[in-house]
Amino acid sequence: MSSIFSLTMLAESIRIAVPYACAAIGGVWAERAGVIQIGLEGILLTGAFTAVAVTHATHSPTLGLVAAIGAGITLSLGHGQLTERARVHAVISGIALNLLALAATRMGLRALYDSASNSPGIEAFRFGPTGATGGAMLLRVLADPVFFCALAAVAATPFVLRNTRFGLRVRAAGENPVAAASVGISVTRVRLAALAVSGAICALGGAHLAYDQQRFESGMSAGRGFIALAAVVVSGWRAGRAALACLVFGVLEALQIVLQDEVRKTAIGDLIQTLPYVATLLVLALAPRRAGAPEGLGKHAAP
Amino acid sequence: MRGPVMKIEDIAVRYGDCWSIRSATITLEPGVIHAILGENGAGKSTLLKAAIGVAPRVAGTVRIEGGAGTIGMVHQHFMLVSAFTALENLVLGNEPTGSFGRLDLAKARREAEALMEKTGLRVNLDARTSDLAVGERQRLEILRVLYRGARAILLDEPTAVLSPLEAEELYTTLGALAEEGATIAVVTHRMDEVIRFAGHVTIMRRGRTVLSRPIAAEERSDPKRLEDVLTRAIMGGEPPPETSPPALAEDAKVELSIEDLVLVDAGGERVLDGLNLTVKKGEIVGIAGIEGNGQRELVRAVAGLEPGVAGSIVLGGARLPAVRSTEDLRKRRRAIAVVHEDRHAEGLMLDASVGDNLVLGELGEIEGPSAEAALISRRIERFGVIPPEPARRAGDLSGGNQQKVVVARALDRIEASPERALVVLGQPTRGVDVGAAATIHGAIVKAAEKGLAVLVVSADLGELRRLSHRILVIHRGRIVAELPPTTSDDVIGRAMLGMEDA
Repeated sequence: MSSIFSLTMLAESIRIAVPYACAAIGGVWAERAGVIQIGLEGILLTGAFTAVAVTHATHSPTLGLVAAIGAGITLSLGHGQLTERARVHAVISGIALNLLALAATRMGLRALYDSASNSPGIEAFRFGPTGATGGAMLLRVLADPVFFCALAAVAATPFVLRNTRFGLRVRAAGENPVAAASVGISVTRVRLAALAVSGAICALGGAHLAYDQQRFESGMSAGRGFIALAAVVVSGWRAGRAALACLVFGVLEALQIVLQDEVRKTAIGDLIQTLPYVATLLVLALAPRRAGAPEGLGKHAAP
Repeated sequence: MRGPVMKIEDIAVRYGDCWSIRSATITLEPGVIHAILGENGAGKSTLLKAAIGVAPRVAGTVRIEGGAGTIGMVHQHFMLVSAFTALENLVLGNEPTGSFGRLDLAKARREAEALMEKTGLRVNLDARTSDLAVGERQRLEILRVLYRGARAILLDEPTAVLSPLEAEELYTTLGALAEEGATIAVVTHRMDEVIRFAGHVTIMRRGRTVLSRPIAAEERSDPKRLEDVLTRAIMGGEPPPETSPPALAEDAKVELSIEDLVLVDAGGERVLDGLNLTVKKGEIVGIAGIEGNGQRELVRAVAGLEPGVAGSIVLGGARLPAVRSTEDLRKRRRAIAVVHEDRHAEGLMLDASVGDNLVLGELGEIEGPSAEAALISRRIERFGVIPPEPARRAGDLSGGNQQKVVVARALDRIEASPERALVVLGQPTRGVDVGAAATIHGAIVKAAEKGLAVLVVSADLGELRRLSHRILVIHRGRIVAELPPTTSDDVIGRAMLGMEDA
């Protein structure tokens, strides 16, 4: 049982939490601006695929990362165009985004690598020591440039939202779009800008997921975007708390991996596997409903 | 700070195929308070919106000295973000920033403090806006307009949400701003405000400005005459007869008796806190109070919509049982008619037709479509709903006519009920023009004449005075004073604030 309190456990927890946290911060940006965003899942998946495809073609994980961020921004802005300009309901647009991402990445796999399940392996970022010790694992996780970008996003988001003009306008657009428009703010432009930030950070999570596996697998986001959305709700739409909720989720999932080695092939192993999801359900059931939700979520400045 | 001269000449504004303003001409000069009066739907709010350039103007010119940046508007529904601090709302859209777009709230605070010092408009800058009182929020709106550098302020029905004392304070501030040279325009329904505070009055009727002239000081000495002149211009004819409560029989029996009514809301606050009152047969009792002191809950409790209420409501000698089923609710409906204060949220289905709204809740009580059509046209006719078309969408009617629909449905139904006993009305004429208000008042008086007990909750003291036999003042969920309708605003206002000596 000592493995629960090991460096391996810590490294695993952080590694697992990063995609969740990126998607959650992306969710915070979109929804604090007043745009319902259930398409985080699709952006994660697209980010992962784009990162792998570009890295595979150019042998540069940096270019892959940049391309993933570009893809995330594009998808997120597409969602914004549909909801803010064409006035499509955001839930419909979000579902469409998720389905599109799932289908398009599958098609991409087939077209580029003639596979239904996964891409060939890629050379992702490699920093930090090699070796299988817990310490080495931890250093590798922390030295990863994608992790660094994610950490910066987590740290900067609350500050930018609270202390900058852009953040104030994003919050105003999310809380009361009519009032924001009445003082001359273009709510649509503010929301699109926030969505661009949202898509970029969320795609970062997708790239992390893919680089971690060193390849793309069909449907590899595996519901992380939705769990992240749950973290946003539980946190009351606050970035720091949402990231923390994702870390807790990472710990639970890491626990499952570490413990599974010990109780492998017993019924308890299967039970432990459900731990993160049971925890999510419990927290969602116990959390005060919609406390802290932006009041203008899903509302528009003009009819 | 001399305000700009605003010349609005012969403008026309159209929303879709509906003319909101056909022809309006007005010159606003700095130095006095301009009042803009008119019935609902006459185009007053639109005139302000056209002035700040947010209404779809199809003809005419708007000329503003120094450009549109010199004017600001305080909307009827406040344009504030409730989750923000007052300071954040103050700077929104005009934020002082340092490097990298960083907010400089310290600078904003210094400027705001200076502005508050100069104008006497005080607001707690660090409070969450949702925690501010209504009057404070309005001061914040005015401060924001000034903060943005505007020297002309247009206010749309600013006193509709204020207590008499707050309204007085507002006009004092506006007067001081005008004296310093600001240009001030106020849209209002309240004649007494115009007579006391305005230096210039413009009246709109059916999309046209029909009168625009200064008010001379000596005219104020004969307020009755001035009121008469203005009312004629607003109505385009004879002013409606003054309403007064019907004679009350000496031996009238108590019809409604409310004892120790207590209601605790979700936050644990006692919104009704041991409320007692009685209303006799044929009596009209007015409830005055600052908004949010339990008026809404009182109306809902009597209607049977507050299951958590404790205490007793006795009607005609029998205690009303708690509402546990729709059958209980139906029983109550046969004896009680209710007009809720928010006609959009609780009174109407805006997307349904006027006809459907007029018989809403009477499903299964009317024999056949022709009887329904007859009932609808009778209600339209009796209350003068304009336009008199049952198929018209209720949301397309002006506020006054929407209110006529709500009141018509309630009163016409209860008067025909054999078990009729009580009418409860929340803000029956809020935001309603003089003509519609007169119709509604007439119907309320008629209901009392027919022997119904009537309870009227209103923020308009003038209305309560004209209608009621007695005025009760509600404060923090209980009745704190019973006053004759002749009591002055000042005394009623003090009682509304819960002051002991009232």
